[in-house]
Amino acid sequence: METILQGLLDMAGINAAVLFDGAGHLLAHRGRSVYDRALCEQVGGPLARAIDSLQLQHEDWESATAQFADGTLLLRRLDTTSAGPCVLALVADSTLNPAFATVAIRVSSNKLKRALDGGASSSATGIPGQASALGSLPAYPAAASPGPGGSQVGSQAEGSRPILANSGLSWSRTGGGGVTAADQAAASYLTTCARELARHVGPMSKIFVEEAVRRVCPDLPFSLAASRALADELAARIEDEPDRQAFLLALKKPGGK
Amino acid sequence: MTDLETVAGIAGVDAAVLGDLEGTFLGAMRTSDGETIAAEMGFVGSTLLEVGELLGLGALCTFSLAGRANACLLVVRPQSLITALIAPPQSLGPVERAVDTAFQEWT
Repeated sequence: METILQGLLDMAGINAAVLFDGAGHLLAHRGRSVYDRALCEQVGGPLARAIDSLQLQHEDWESATAQFADGTLLLRRLDTTSAGPCVLALVADSTLNPAFATVAIRVSSNKLKRALDGGASSSATGIPGQASALGSLPAYPAAASPGPGGSQVGSQAEGSRPILANSGLSWSRTGGGGVTAADQAAASYLTTCARELARHVGPMSKIFVEEAVRRVCPDLPFSLAASRALADELAARIEDEPDRQAFLLALKKPGGK
Repeated sequence: MTDLETVAGIAGVDAAVLGDLEGTFLGAMRTSDGETIAAEMGFVGSTLLEVGELLGLGALCTFSLAGRANACLLVVRPQSLITALIAPPQSLGPVERAVDTAFQEWT
């Protein structure tokens, strides 16, 4: 199943491919840079609530698309016999080719359905009741291939993901050992910072963000009041001046404040 | 012409509902179920905003959904949400493009 998600992740413009069960529990996941398992697990709850609500009026929904200012969330419903209704979620950016994506999602959905229904013996399947066991599986096998373009971010991310996944670097309002954000807007800003920084420095971006937050907000949860100071700290990590300016500009966009 | 009338007037749109992210019902055309739809789509819109913030995707602009029998398009405006109920679902693409054109004219 991880291989099927990797196939989607290899498409240009896809930054994360996640499979949730009907309750929003993460069954499988592949993601670039900041879209690590912890972040995707966090999304499962609100996503399941939204889908539950949608199903009141649109019980037969098959696919959905949420268009945001800085990207797109594509959802596809997978009705499986053994795992019940599941949802394939893809996080994409503006470089996604929607026509190619539609075909790829259909193909991958069929493969995932087969894996969920008949793949009880396959290695990394999301079998109901075994979601916790999935957590102990190596999420990123070393054999995973980088993106088709062999992008720096994508290929570097493959090697360092286990470090990111195990380092407790989720910036939530509840803390949890990593950086703590004062509110949702602050957490969103940190995610944007890490995502934009990853374009220039690779998957170490999240660690750089954490270190920078500790410097600009020692002993305090990060708030948007410190966003300028944080942006300057992070920009200093980028050697190339045009890249540095592009990074700062990206953070000033609506999604990046 | 109001935003609601504009959306309701697009070919393929069966009905349209005006509400906000709080689920408040503000108006409807060609449906008697506007209050329920406004509440549902208000909740969906606000929950998706939360998802977008978590993923660092910024503000929600539109949300579309397609099923076997019909489709639905949610358009987020500065102070309101407009829901378009679409049938058949194959009309979703043309309706999205028409709304997009109208949206550009609004801004």
